Amino acid sequence: MVLAKDVETPEGRVLCGKGTILTGSLIDRLKKMEITHLTVEGHPVTEEGEKTLAEELHDIDQRFSRVKHIPPLMHLKKRIQERAIAARKE
Amino acid sequence: METDKKAHFRKTLREVKTLPTLPGIVVKLTRMAEDPDTTTEQMGKVISKDHILAAKLLRLVNSAFYGFPQRISSLNNAIILLGFNVIKSLIISASIFEIMEEKDIELWEHSLGCAVVCSVVAKRLGISDPEEISTAGLIHDIGKVAIKMELPEEYEQINRMVQEQQVPMLDAEREILGLDHAEVGGWLAKRWNLPNKLVEPITCHHDPRLAKDEQLSSAVVHFANIVIRGMGYTHGDDIWVPPLSQRAYRLLGLTAVDIDEILGEIEDKLWDVKGFSLEIQAEQAPPQDNN
Repeated sequence: MVLAKDVETPEGRVLCGKGTILTGSLIDRLKKMEITHLTVEGHPVTEEGEKTLAEELHDIDQRFSRVKHIPPLMHLKKRIQERAIAARKE
Repeated sequence: METDKKAHFRKTLREVKTLPTLPGIVVKLTRMAEDPDTTTEQMGKVISKDHILAAKLLRLVNSAFYGFPQRISSLNNAIILLGFNVIKSLIISASIFEIMEEKDIELWEHSLGCAVVCSVVAKRLGISDPEEISTAGLIHDIGKVAIKMELPEEYEQINRMVQEQQVPMLDAEREILGLDHAEVGGWLAKRWNLPNKLVEPITCHHDPRLAKDEQLSSAVVHFANIVIRGMGYTHGDDIWVPPLSQRAYRLLGLTAVDIDEILGEIEDKLWDVKGFSLEIQAEQAPPQDNN
């Protein structure tokens, strides 16, 4: 996995730069420094309980189901769905 | 609904007892702010005396929803950059969110997310005080917290109605209480003497046509609430995107290209907010026994 964003301490000091390859030992070291989260590129792991793309698209449909008559919101919906699809392809 | 009952709800919510009343420090700072001789250093010193509050403030200020390019490390700078009204609202938010973080992570994340969208939209429109609009976004649903705390039974009823009848929370509130969280949030903000720049967008976030002096800010918060809900940051069983006011949308003047770019910017910043929220949850979790 590759870091998509710098890992920083709460004080803002950069520990690891964007683009760094995350190895097991590096992850251990970050854990020891009490880093609780970081951002990696792509969509490498499926978290437990995470929705499938089809479920996600269906949820978006549901959320917008009361505003079908409002064109700007239908555009918004379309773009949100397209982004959800693109995010899975990375 | 019987007028008596409605009047009772109104009275209860206007007199909110369980929500933190304005922290003493805000009263003191307000007094200081009214005195033209007060310096930001003096105000910074007063806030610094409360270490937890000072740390929280700096963290809020540095989080993604204000999006300053550089880290703000001192309270003095925060006061200068954000202005007293925003600092005051943040102190209030910090105390309210203590309740929200513990009891309602979903609403907290929705609020943080809404603040992010407000910041992105306000900056795109070149509005001069985007921080104030973000702050309004951060506390726009404060009325929901008040209803939950003050009228727990009715709040349950509202939630049941949302779930059973598949109606938005706003409609259920109006049906059961004869008023809604936007109105309640507006009263609270007024009671805390927040400026109209914050009061109106809170009061009008579901109906920006009601805004008089703060039409643009109200339109931004209205639209931000819609976008963040569209992105899945909803609350409870009320999963729907609320209707968009055409007038507010025209006022914003956003194009399809703007929308595309805005979504990208928001997604980036939401990652940071998610981390911010996780950090808070981790801090609140009881210490783990590693042995």
